[in-house]
Amino acid sequence: MDRSRRISLIIFAGIIILFILSWIIKSTTLLNVGTESLLSIRDAFFITFAAFLTLAIFSFLYKDNPYYKFAEHLFVGVSAAYWMCVGFWSTFVGNFIPKVSTTLSNFFEVPPKEFDIFYFIPLILGLMLLMRLSPKGGWLSRWSLAFIVGTTAGLNLIRYLRTDFITQVSNTFIPLLVDWNGIGPFFSDFSLSASGQFVMTLGNWVIFIGVFSGLIYFFFSKEHKGFFGHASRVGIWVLMITFGASFGYTVMGRVSLLVGRLTFLFKDWLGLIS
Amino acid sequence: MSDIGLILSIGVIVVGLLWLTIRSLTGREVERRIIFLFIGISVAIPLLFNITVSEKATPIVKGIYDKVENLPSGSKILISFDYGPSMAPEVEPMSDAFLRHALAKGHKVFIMGLWATGQSLGAAAVDKIVKPEFPDKVDGVDYINIGYKAGNQGVLNVIITDFRKMYATDVNGVDLDSVEIFENIRSLKDMDLILCVGGGFPGIKEWVLFAADPGNIPLAGGSAAVATPLLYPYYPKQLIGLLGGIKGAAEYESEMKKNYPRFADMPTPGLNMMGPQTLAHMVVMAFIVIGNLSFFFAKRRKK
Amino acid sequence: MRLKLLFLSCLLLIFICTSAFTQDEAVVADSLETTAETISPAPATSLTAIDKPDDHGHGIDLSWELSADDGGGLMSVMGYMIYRATSPDGSYEARSGLLLNVTAYSDVGAMNEGENDYMPDYTDYYYKVRALTTDSAVFADSEILGPVQSFGQWFNWKRLSVLLLVAGFLFLTVYFIQKAKGGAKLFVRRLAGIEAVDEAIGRATEMGKPILYVLGLGTAADIATIASYTILSRVAKKVAEYQTGLIVPCYDPIVMAIAQETVKTSYMNAGRADAYNEDMVYFVTNQQFAYVAGVNGVMLRDRPATNIYMGKFYAESLILAETGVAAGSIQIAGTDEISQIPFFVVACDYTLIGEELYAASAYLGKEPLLLGSLKAQDYAKACLIFLAIIGFITLMFGYHGIVDFFHVAG
Repeated sequence: MDRSRRISLIIFAGIIILFILSWIIKSTTLLNVGTESLLSIRDAFFITFAAFLTLAIFSFLYKDNPYYKFAEHLFVGVSAAYWMCVGFWSTFVGNFIPKVSTTLSNFFEVPPKEFDIFYFIPLILGLMLLMRLSPKGGWLSRWSLAFIVGTTAGLNLIRYLRTDFITQVSNTFIPLLVDWNGIGPFFSDFSLSASGQFVMTLGNWVIFIGVFSGLIYFFFSKEHKGFFGHASRVGIWVLMITFGASFGYTVMGRVSLLVGRLTFLFKDWLGLIS
Repeated sequence: MSDIGLILSIGVIVVGLLWLTIRSLTGREVERRIIFLFIGISVAIPLLFNITVSEKATPIVKGIYDKVENLPSGSKILISFDYGPSMAPEVEPMSDAFLRHALAKGHKVFIMGLWATGQSLGAAAVDKIVKPEFPDKVDGVDYINIGYKAGNQGVLNVIITDFRKMYATDVNGVDLDSVEIFENIRSLKDMDLILCVGGGFPGIKEWVLFAADPGNIPLAGGSAAVATPLLYPYYPKQLIGLLGGIKGAAEYESEMKKNYPRFADMPTPGLNMMGPQTLAHMVVMAFIVIGNLSFFFAKRRKK
Repeated sequence: MRLKLLFLSCLLLIFICTSAFTQDEAVVADSLETTAETISPAPATSLTAIDKPDDHGHGIDLSWELSADDGGGLMSVMGYMIYRATSPDGSYEARSGLLLNVTAYSDVGAMNEGENDYMPDYTDYYYKVRALTTDSAVFADSEILGPVQSFGQWFNWKRLSVLLLVAGFLFLTVYFIQKAKGGAKLFVRRLAGIEAVDEAIGRATEMGKPILYVLGLGTAADIATIASYTILSRVAKKVAEYQTGLIVPCYDPIVMAIAQETVKTSYMNAGRADAYNEDMVYFVTNQQFAYVAGVNGVMLRDRPATNIYMGKFYAESLILAETGVAAGSIQIAGTDEISQIPFFVVACDYTLIGEELYAASAYLGKEPLLLGSLKAQDYAKACLIFLAIIGFITLMFGYHGIVDFFHVAG
């Protein structure tokens, strides 16, 4: 047996021992709180296992290892299966069965509805999609895919054009001078909560300039020289500030997730905080 | 206790950062694991010693709060749980706060999800919040969880004209035609307010595109921080308000605590996270400064 | 005598008492009557009902003028109830209760027979609006209005702007694609990112190190991947001319097959078909992070002088770009995945932002589909800027026409 293998075996044994120890300690703590004995043993196992998986994922920060791989694959597998199960019960049993068969509705204990023959169309399309798994009938799935791609594209085109284009343009029409009542009231409120006229006017100017310079930056039919060049430089600045904000938000998001996991470890597993 | 924590955390971080600065200015590489360790410590210490910071609601958060507050009691509010456990620490405080606020105001709450995971997270929220904190509220009368349906934005496209074409029963298998809360509800258009909590696809963007805009339904949301910058263009005309990441959740919680005596002692996961956030952000900012300093020093040394 | 007197006085007392009580009752009844008369509110007036416009039918719009006692007069009206029947003296069914100070209601029913609340089209409906008070027995009905019918419209005029813009944009797209197919020269400005690619290839040649080209995680049908092929073909041609090495690890087997073909053609076009080696383009795995690990391994082992990332990228963007920085390579990236652009911007020397990726591809490849749609988008943007400027100017002079055109209500 070579050295590295021996070390990994020792680590493995260590983890098993720690796991069992944690399980026992957690069970006794839960028992002391007053949970039923069987329940406490079960809950303690789940909490310990969740803690083990969390730590296994964290171990990737040190380096790639089999424990990380195990946790990652478990997560991918479980979530795929979960979506499939919920999809089956909510869509197939929830929507399809009540509309086609009273016997099956009674079997699955869902309230039957009036028979609707149109529900067989999605069923057939769905079955055709499953033909992907067959090497010979694979081409059939393309019909379903074409249906999905076509309807989604049609649906999205109109909705996106309306919401992301027309309404956004309409939202860009903002007053470049908000409620002018003379210099005094205009400069009265400098709070960053954007309630003062000056701040609101300033904000509207930022949106106005940002939108136009951004559009000019993404205009490819003209060389970026002269006025166009200057405007597109402003555009790229606006873009970079946006990316900066995006980056900042990402940091916040990731820290939140870390806090969430550490809270689990400290509170539910180790009981360090209440 | 929190004073000791504060002193300890600041001490550890200042000493560490000094060490880092000296190391990077002298041109030696800093291992990335040390950076991870720093972030880990700066997040763990405020958590262990319960260091919190106070928050004040910004207009974009206040917009949602005021809307929920000003709707007449008994209004219909739909909360969509469009997230999974991997995003939950960030957005769950938002859905919790929305649920508490809506029920406390006496609104009727409809829970659904465009994510399969949203169904069980919605049910968990009912078990965690509604049953213990609002024992007088009745399932099917004051609130209902209609769960998840596959189809992403397609689901919205259907329920904007008719709920029953997609949803025959609630999550417990109860016929929607037999529950009181659904008596006068035909489509999404009968909702007085939609609150979407999410951060991926489908999420708030899909709600704007396929529900709020075509149906002229008031919509607000809580978003995971990563997706927030892309949603700002919809505020204020297409979105009444937006909770951006955990900061938005914390602001909403502080507003609830301020105005409702019954929520003075409620769990505030959002506010609790702001302590670690603040410290971690300070450390990240320090990293940026150190990184830039060492970059310029290295440039000068080369010259 | 005394007994008689007592009896008489008792009798008197009883009489007085009873008369007093009866009087009391009369007074109470009297006051009730008068209050009932005063509380009975004025009805809502001028009731109108028309088919709900721009809909699929099954809806009728009602409007009325407030009761005189709503917000004025006796202030007794607490709300309104809408009633509907299918004959003027038939049984009226309550449709909806409304709060006070409301003067309009859309009565919309279900569109399919058998559904709850089905409301058939082309049926005569009669309406009345009841002004309600706190006492359920005290109310006032408006005059009965009818008959009114509901019916659907073929066209929703409120969405005219959407139709016009969709049609306009589709026309531009088809027009420019046809034009590009016909061989017309459509101008696309030179992009700094392309120059950066050329420079990076030169640098790799000088250093004698290979170039790593990553096509991302997209499928062969993603526009970003299609755009990436064009850039790959340009890179491969230059690489063949300069005799530099090229490594293209792929995530998708179909993408790999097309990439192999692209690189082979480029080598042939450069007149160096002999230098082409099938192993330049290879399949790694289609597991996201396993793929990243594979590519990172290449970066650290082969130390390519330049890494080019073009296509669709997700969470792996930062991991790839960071490893590239650690390996000391020059990096150029391009993606239309907006959430990933910030990561490429911070970690790469040059980033093609969103549409620039398509523009770069259109500039290099002159592929009619890409070139035509890029041109159409450019013209759409120009129209938008133009319209917006006019909108702002007219808004200043108090004209709302253009702003209203962009406001879709229904």
